[in-house]
Amino acid sequence: MNESNAPATYQLPEQMSTVSGDIDWLYYFIYWTSVVLFVAIVGAMIYWAIKYRERPGHKPTPTGHNMPLEIAWTVAPIFILVFLFHKGFQGYMDLAVAPANSIEIRVNAKQWSWEFVYPNGGSSPELHVPEGKPVKLVLTSADVLHSFFVPALRVKRDVVPGMFTTVWFQTTHVGHDDIACAEYCGGRSTGANGELPYEPSDDPRNPYPAGQATGHWAMHGMMFSETEEDYAKFLKSIGDKCDQFATTGKPCPADIAAEQGQKIYSNKGCLACHTTTGVPGVGPSWKGIWGKEEATNVGKVKIDENYIRESILDPQAKIVTGFGPVMPTFRGQISDQELNEVIAYIESLK
Amino acid sequence: MANVSESLPEKAGHGEHAHAHPSFLQHHFDTPAQQFNASKLGMWIFIATEILMFGGLFCAYAIWRGLEPDIFDQSHHFLNKIMGATNTVVLLFSSLTAALAVRSSQLGKRDQTSIYLVITILCAVVFLVVKYFEYAHKFHLGLLPGHCFGHPYFSAAIQNGHEVGTCLRIHSDEMPGSPLWVRAIDESGHEQLLPPRANMFFAIYFVMTGLHAVHVVIGMSILTWVLVKNTRGRFSKEYFTPVDLGALYWHLVDLVWIYLFPLLYLVGKPD
Amino acid sequence: MAAVDIPAIGGHEADAHGDGNAPYLTAKRGIMSWVYTVDHKRIGLMYLMMVSIAFLAGGTFALLVRLELFSRGKTIVDAETYNRFFTLHGAIMVFLFIIPSVPAALGNFFLPIMIGAKDVAFPRLNMLSFYLYCIGVVILLASIIGGSVDTGWTFYTPYSVQTANSVISMTFGVFVLGFSSILTGLNFLVTVHTLRAPGVSWTRLPLFVWGMYATALMQVLATPVLAITLLLLGAERFFGIGIFDPKLGGDPVLFQHFFWFYSHPAVYIMIVPGMAINSELIATFSRRSIFGYFAVAMSSIGLAILGFLVWGHHMFVAGMSEFSTMLFSALTMLVAIPSGVKMFNWTATLYKGSIVWASPMLYAMSFIFLFSIGGLTGLFLGTLSVDVHLTDTYFVVAHFHYVMMGGTVMAFLGGLLYWWPKMTGKMHDELKAKIGFVFVFIGFNLTFMSQFIMGSRGMPRRYYDYLPQFEPFHRASTIGSWILAVGLFTTGYTLLEALWKGKRAPRNPWGSAGYEWMTETPVPLANFRQTPVITRGPYDYHLATPEELATGWDEISEKPAAKKTSQATKKD
Ligand code: HEA
Ligand code: HEA
Ligand code: HEC
Ligand code: CUA
Ligand SMILES: [Cu+2]
Repeated sequence: MNESNAPATYQLPEQMSTVSGDIDWLYYFIYWTSVVLFVAIVGAMIYWAIKYRERPGHKPTPTGHNMPLEIAWTVAPIFILVFLFHKGFQGYMDLAVAPANSIEIRVNAKQWSWEFVYPNGGSSPELHVPEGKPVKLVLTSADVLHSFFVPALRVKRDVVPGMFTTVWFQTTHVGHDDIACAEYCGGRSTGANGELPYEPSDDPRNPYPAGQATGHWAMHGMMFSETEEDYAKFLKSIGDKCDQFATTGKPCPADIAAEQGQKIYSNKGCLACHTTTGVPGVGPSWKGIWGKEEATNVGKVKIDENYIRESILDPQAKIVTGFGPVMPTFRGQISDQELNEVIAYIESLK
Repeated sequence: MANVSESLPEKAGHGEHAHAHPSFLQHHFDTPAQQFNASKLGMWIFIATEILMFGGLFCAYAIWRGLEPDIFDQSHHFLNKIMGATNTVVLLFSSLTAALAVRSSQLGKRDQTSIYLVITILCAVVFLVVKYFEYAHKFHLGLLPGHCFGHPYFSAAIQNGHEVGTCLRIHSDEMPGSPLWVRAIDESGHEQLLPPRANMFFAIYFVMTGLHAVHVVIGMSILTWVLVKNTRGRFSKEYFTPVDLGALYWHLVDLVWIYLFPLLYLVGKPD
Repeated sequence: MAAVDIPAIGGHEADAHGDGNAPYLTAKRGIMSWVYTVDHKRIGLMYLMMVSIAFLAGGTFALLVRLELFSRGKTIVDAETYNRFFTLHGAIMVFLFIIPSVPAALGNFFLPIMIGAKDVAFPRLNMLSFYLYCIGVVILLASIIGGSVDTGWTFYTPYSVQTANSVISMTFGVFVLGFSSILTGLNFLVTVHTLRAPGVSWTRLPLFVWGMYATALMQVLATPVLAITLLLLGAERFFGIGIFDPKLGGDPVLFQHFFWFYSHPAVYIMIVPGMAINSELIATFSRRSIFGYFAVAMSSIGLAILGFLVWGHHMFVAGMSEFSTMLFSALTMLVAIPSGVKMFNWTATLYKGSIVWASPMLYAMSFIFLFSIGGLTGLFLGTLSVDVHLTDTYFVVAHFHYVMMGGTVMAFLGGLLYWWPKMTGKMHDELKAKIGFVFVFIGFNLTFMSQFIMGSRGMPRRYYDYLPQFEPFHRASTIGSWILAVGLFTTGYTLLEALWKGKRAPRNPWGSAGYEWMTETPVPLANFRQTPVITRGPYDYHLATPEELATGWDEISEKPAAKKTSQATKKD
């Protein structure tokens, strides 16, 4: 179903980065070394266990000593081990040092979504990179540990709150692969007040339906390695349209703002918890909430600009009845302009 | 300890009938010497585990000190060197009396042993009282560990425009660092403004000295138990293992403090 | 020592502790005689009961985990519950089952017997450590009532600081269990040092005892660090001291250093006892001394030492410096050497032996089979660039099940079958045991071999849901777990059945030369009718007389002329 994802070999996925070849070579080297050792040890064991099985008339020979043999099998593995260490370290250093001309993309991870921020300031929940160009990701997390993992690239790096980690790679051809979060970061699958049917979809780009699956496993993203033109087109599409209004000092027209707000809805991961269909997810659905009176733990509130702003910057201030205090704060991650765009979007969902 | 075990009565052969066993000898040991050696080895191993446990904290201390030398320097002026030094002397003295207790027990001087034990326990009490005053002063200044750091309930914390109600985790806007700064007079009379991350120093201070204080209490209980047994006449020239082991444990408690005092109270930033 | 000169019957326990020669199971009766017992054998049995229940509980959670993963999406439980299942599975298996399993159950029972002692050095401490274990179990499981824990058995911060409060209960339980483990280790170290019977020199120490000794070293040296880690985690949750919390300026990676500084040695605390049992099984069922006894004994100590130097290999992608990464990878490679020495020596022992295909031996051979897979896949993980791809995938899950389940648990089951007659005085049904084995072996490989493939293809671990391409492998794995369960239940049943249906066990059903078989079945309260004076090694099949193998030692010395003089030569 996901052609380009078909394994390159039985054991390993497709190779899509410049380092994959070396790593796979080493993988198979260890594999075959292990097979040889395994067959030797287990083979000898089975053979002797049968040959010298207990039977009338058969007597065990008392154990002797064989110093050279013992030294041999203590020392011989060292050579293999030194080689493995050396090769492994070499490969690791290749992964560690990014070339100076890398394209730098910032990655914000949070429970439970990825946000990729491109050099032009635009952002998207999917990772697009130009084919054959070195790309450096600078990763940070807003809450707990996550880990950025793309099997076909053979890269993985923990995303640690309070610090920046980096990962770099260079793709070898056009294609795509899954991004997974490989460090456990919690999560659940149902809305706050109870059961939601949980049906994974077969859509490879969105296997865990928004609003239902929120959790570590649902931090699924896509990595696209594309041609230069496609990448340029992509950059343009995420570029900030309201910028042009901001520079002229005019307010951004509501429809454009709402359109931008919708992007933020998917890029910043709101869709993980909020639907726009009226069905509640982990958080309340946004459909038709504008202007409504909402029951919260501190009484009734009217949903307006200020309330939405507060809900986003300080979500724990007022908790909508029936939901848990699980929404993370977006303070520091969302600009005033973006806030306005989200508000415009929610307003447009009347 | 070899001379000690040799001074013990000649071994009673293994499997000898019960009446040949001294009353303190447990059934699965052959000789008092064997029993003594087992107990002693056991205590040493236990002490090794204790040292490793504190070792973890010393590592944490080293790491944090390396990361925040300035904050550690600034904060350590808030510890009262006089009180710390007093406690050091008290503990060293108590170690001496503990050792003397063992000595007099070996010589079979039961009353003398009791006196030394009592002095040791009293020293421990003095130590804890001094510690109490130190802690109370810190609480008063708001120099508390972790997210309670600068808690206004106790202290003159500047709230930096943030409302702080109860002693709950403070959600800060920008990571890292909670938004509370503490202004207070340190032990040498200077007014200092401690940054929020000074909570690290006090966290380590409280965890390390707190765990140590728990050990002081445990040590006191052990010595008290030994004292009771001693006054009941359970020990003799031949059998004084509990006195010996109790004192050994007490030396450990002392030893840990010998490291804590300079590391927390004295070491500043090298200029 | 004057051991052999005294009358055998009515040893010195007579007045204080009842008859030292009465079988330990029936010497005293009634529940209270178990509750207050300080006898290492009874404590061992009680431990055995507890760890078996823990294994059953951990296994139940494992089956639930597997069942949930049978198909994509929700199969039986929701995601939150799933997270709790695998956390409980991991925590129960590690802290309640596998760490105490061999040392506390079989070790407690056999270590004193194997060195000819009457008990461990501190019997009351031993009882305390059992009750601490029980308390730890209760506190740990209390976390289930408090809303359960969903952090994974590694309790990584900052997630563990934020999630449900029952983390405190679970970590405190682990803290208490740690004390129990330390006390057991301490007891064993002192016992081995001070209570060896005359003639049990260090070079005649059974390899099981060597393994227990190395394990005890690790328990004593590593567990305190776990204690302090959990204490800090607790303080973090109560006061937010901020050491591990980036929000307060702390460092979550530091927690990982602390955690693995204990938990890597812990994996050798798990495997070394398994290897220790395996050495016994291989020797007995080859009727031959272990090849390279000295190397095998020393490799246990080697593992105990090296085990402390490699913890960083769990953190290759966690944000350590390149330098530490390099160092830890290099050191990780070294641990393969002592393990390899053991594997080679065991295999060489079979050569020109007389191999008995008894059920314990089947487990011993499957240990070699499975542990070499588990160990060799450890090398994939120790190799830096390959680990980057494999870490936190099912490859790691498969690796550690191959070493823990395929290694330790196989050895544990082998050891149980092997020593069951000595412990209970009853023989089990060999045929049923072998049938059970076949299911276990096939089921196990099916369950975890498929996990290797998913893992290397990129299936991350701790996932409630997964991409469609992994479904066939998960299905195979789940089916395997059922076959495995059938095998384990059969084995468990075989052992229990022996209790009421089994034939009375002879003194030495397997014809072993090991010291523990030289006393009666069931074992007398004082272990031997009189302190044995040992004149040969535990594997000296060529020195042990057939008479000795059949009738042990106490009766030999009751027939004065026969062996007595030769045995009593080693007086001191
Ligand atoms: C019983 C427990 C046990 C044992 C014995 C081992 C043994 C080893 N382990 Fe394993 N390991 C675990 C339990 C265990 N492990 C657990 C529980 C985890 C995961 C924890 C978690 O994250 O939840 C883990 C994870 C783990 C990792 C981290 C993976 C990751 O998260 O990225 C690594 C990396 O280096 C590793 C390596 C090794 C190595 C090199 C050995 C070596 O000791 C193996 C040595 C044995 C052999 C090599 C085979 C026999 C030898 C020969 C046949 C001789 C010939 C050999 C050569 C020529 C080399 N293990
Ligand atoms: C000793 C350790 C041990 C053992 C034996 C097992 C045994 C099993 N484990 Fe476990 N496992 C772990 C330790 C262990 N595991 C750890 C540490 C983790 C990581 C957790 C984490 O990520 O935090 C893990 C994670 C883990 C996962 C990954 C979950 C995930 O990442 O999402 C899976 C999935 O398949 C799994 C499956 C199994 C299965 C099917 C068994 C089967 O082998 C179980 C079979 C057992 C039974 C069916 C019980 C039968 C018992 C009896 C009948 C009692 C009879 C008694 C006697 C004979 C004495 N385990
Ligand atoms: C982890 C899940 C989660 C994510 C991600 C999330 N929210 Fe929420 N949100 C909630 C929950 C739960 C509530 C209800 C409880 C509350 O008021 O805090 C909520 C409430 C709200 C409300 C108030 C709705 C009402 O009916 O009163 C707004 C507005 C809102 N979120 C906006 C956002 C925006 C904008 C984003 C993304 C930038 C976002 N949320 C991301 C979980 C989430
Ligand atoms: Cu994010 Cu796992
Ligand atoms: Cu490890």
